[in-house]
Amino acid sequence: MSELDKRLSLPVERTSASVRSALPLRAASLKRSRLKENALAYAFLAPSLLLFAVFLFYPLVKSVYLSLHSTDPAGRIAGFTGFDNYSDLFTSGLFVSGIKTTALFALLTVPAGILLALILAVLTHNMLRGKRLFQFAFSLPMVISVGSASVIWKFLFHPTLGMLNYLLEQAGMAPVGWLIDPHWALLSISIMTVWMNLGFNYILLSSGMQGIPDEIYESARIDGAGPLRVFYRITMPLLSPTLFFVLVVSTIGAFQSFGQINILTQGGPMNSTSVFVYSIYQESFINFRFGTGSAQAILLFLVIMLLTLIQFKWVERKVHYQ
Amino acid sequence: MKAFRLRKSLLLITTALTVALAGCGNNSGGNNAGSGTNGAAGNSSSSNTSGKAAAAEAAPVKVTWWHSMSGTNEKAVNEIVSDFNSSHKDVQVEAVFQGKYDESLNKLKASFGSNSGPDLIQVYEIGSKFMIDSKMITPVQQFIDEDQYDLSQLEPNITRYYTIDGKLNAMPFNTSNPILYYNKDAFKAAGLDPENPPKTYEDFEKAAKALAKNGKPAASIAIYGWFMEQLFANQNADYVNNGNGRESSATESLLNSDAGVKTLEWWKRMIDEKAVSNLGRNTDDTDAAFAAGQIAMTLDSTASLRNIVQSVGGKFEVGTGFLPKPADAKEGGVVVGGASLYIMNNKPVEEQKAAWEFIKYLATPEVQAKWSVNTGYFPITKAAYDQQVLKDNMAKYPQFQTAVDQLHASTESTATSGAVMGVFPEARQIVEGAIESALNGKQEPKAALDEAAKQITDKIAQYNETVQK
Repeated sequence: MSELDKRLSLPVERTSASVRSALPLRAASLKRSRLKENALAYAFLAPSLLLFAVFLFYPLVKSVYLSLHSTDPAGRIAGFTGFDNYSDLFTSGLFVSGIKTTALFALLTVPAGILLALILAVLTHNMLRGKRLFQFAFSLPMVISVGSASVIWKFLFHPTLGMLNYLLEQAGMAPVGWLIDPHWALLSISIMTVWMNLGFNYILLSSGMQGIPDEIYESARIDGAGPLRVFYRITMPLLSPTLFFVLVVSTIGAFQSFGQINILTQGGPMNSTSVFVYSIYQESFINFRFGTGSAQAILLFLVIMLLTLIQFKWVERKVHYQ
Repeated sequence: MKAFRLRKSLLLITTALTVALAGCGNNSGGNNAGSGTNGAAGNSSSSNTSGKAAAAEAAPVKVTWWHSMSGTNEKAVNEIVSDFNSSHKDVQVEAVFQGKYDESLNKLKASFGSNSGPDLIQVYEIGSKFMIDSKMITPVQQFIDEDQYDLSQLEPNITRYYTIDGKLNAMPFNTSNPILYYNKDAFKAAGLDPENPPKTYEDFEKAAKALAKNGKPAASIAIYGWFMEQLFANQNADYVNNGNGRESSATESLLNSDAGVKTLEWWKRMIDEKAVSNLGRNTDDTDAAFAAGQIAMTLDSTASLRNIVQSVGGKFEVGTGFLPKPADAKEGGVVVGGASLYIMNNKPVEEQKAAWEFIKYLATPEVQAKWSVNTGYFPITKAAYDQQVLKDNMAKYPQFQTAVDQLHASTESTATSGAVMGVFPEARQIVEGAIESALNGKQEPKAALDEAAKQITDKIAQYNETVQK
């Protein structure tokens, strides 16, 4: 209450001051009040800044520090190595192969995931009957955790007892080594990931569609636009902010995928599913080389930041904000 | 406009930050959980020793034991601990499950430098070198000498693994070795002698070919680095140099030696002949295929015996045999797998002594017999075989005798004592990768092993560098 009073009284003081005295003094008091206002803002921000500092900024700084050192098997600093960890990552090809696998994984999961969710959202949007039921069914993967989803798919992918190979055999086709064959493993994990992310994408896109006012559709129809034209000229542009958000979030999600890979393949066979976050985990918490692990984490940070920047710079231009 | 852009870029940076750090979140979470539980344990134990010990000597010494036994094995652990606690008023053991072996080791590493670690920890066999190099343990040999404890009552083939530099560093606890599992009914149907399982690589190949019908393989070996280590020992070949890392720290991997090439070529040939199928790295998958009758031969640990026999039910008769070896390999044998117990040296002496009391209790024939029956691991104490519960169990699971015979038939050498290297967990991954690239035809077996050996040698060099300091 008292804080409010003070703030309310501020302009009064200021005007009286400006009336009484010359310009510099007025500027000074303006500055003071702005300072006060900023201090108040920081006071409100402090709790969240503190949390950020403890859980984000400190680990980040620590990661940078660790990435310049080598660690002994217990994770204690063994010596300063400068940029050796980084140059090792590039010369050993670990970075390039990790980025390749991760990028391929993102390419396999992001477009397919968005497209599928978009199709389902469009189909259910115009539904008259059973809309709720389908909406419920399509959003369902969202409530399943990565761990349980992976275990379910582990059963489906099982080389000899899995449902998928059973169906293939019933159809007279040769069984597939879903998670064992290095040509298939990444694709199998992508299929599972697309399914897993479907719920989230679907909810976002269909709520985005519900946000488009009916009048626009109506007037388009009155003007004689067919369903395809309506989709391209009205739904897509007005949905583009949502699509953009889904794109950014799923790309980031694809680059940080870990759970399903850890449970289903552990980066194998022949490192064909060793995406970036998994190799960070492996390097840091299986091999206990926090130095190279941190260097990888910093590189991943830069890569994701770059990608997100690119998306904001170029893709966002095509986004139509109402 | 400017403010808007600033806000947007801030948002961008925060998102990127959140994402990049998501990986680290895993770690801090684990550490927090670890230190949380230890913190409580540490506090209560310190209050016990400092506060009450002076007032009355009735206060028991508290021992915190970290283990990695889950499921039925955890139940067996808890039973043993509660039996111990009710029969020993002066020592109270608290058993804490800390996740899988590597997770538990991870938490132990995080606890170094603080007082929050355990008194006693169960560590897998391939963590032995790390535990010694960490200089955080009191070798049990010290207590054995003080106590004049008779080591000869233990199984010599088991203690040999944990005896490094002439002293026993850890007390073996749960040990197992790999055996051949086969389907006796399928053997009969294929015209093979069901009482005479293949003993050599050549016989294994012949049997697999006979079992395979219309192009469908009927045997499988999981791509598990442990099998490679065992198949080396079975040919009496060292896995790393310097006496398998036992005379001095290993500096070179011998993965690409004759023993390795012979094994991988044999394996690859059987895949090409469609006699053996590749079911991936998981022994759970090969076990499931075996239990479902889809494959008739597989390799796995003795610790899986009970599980396999139970999931087969009465569908067919399960036979067990020795781990195969090349026909020209004369000596050799299996290495004990499993885990052992280490006493940490950063705890008060009375706690370490109390931990030793508990270890001695664990090694008694009665406890070992019960432990073996409940879990499928070997008893480490020879006298346990005279216990009635174990005899009954042998009658129920006669297949277990194979494992015991195999252990006793192993010749004594550096190869069968097991390799010692600090980067063992990582070496296993590298070996598994090499086997995969050979079996998938990406590389010739020799080339795959050459590359893997070089990688392991490099990692060993890195490890030795950080440890020497």
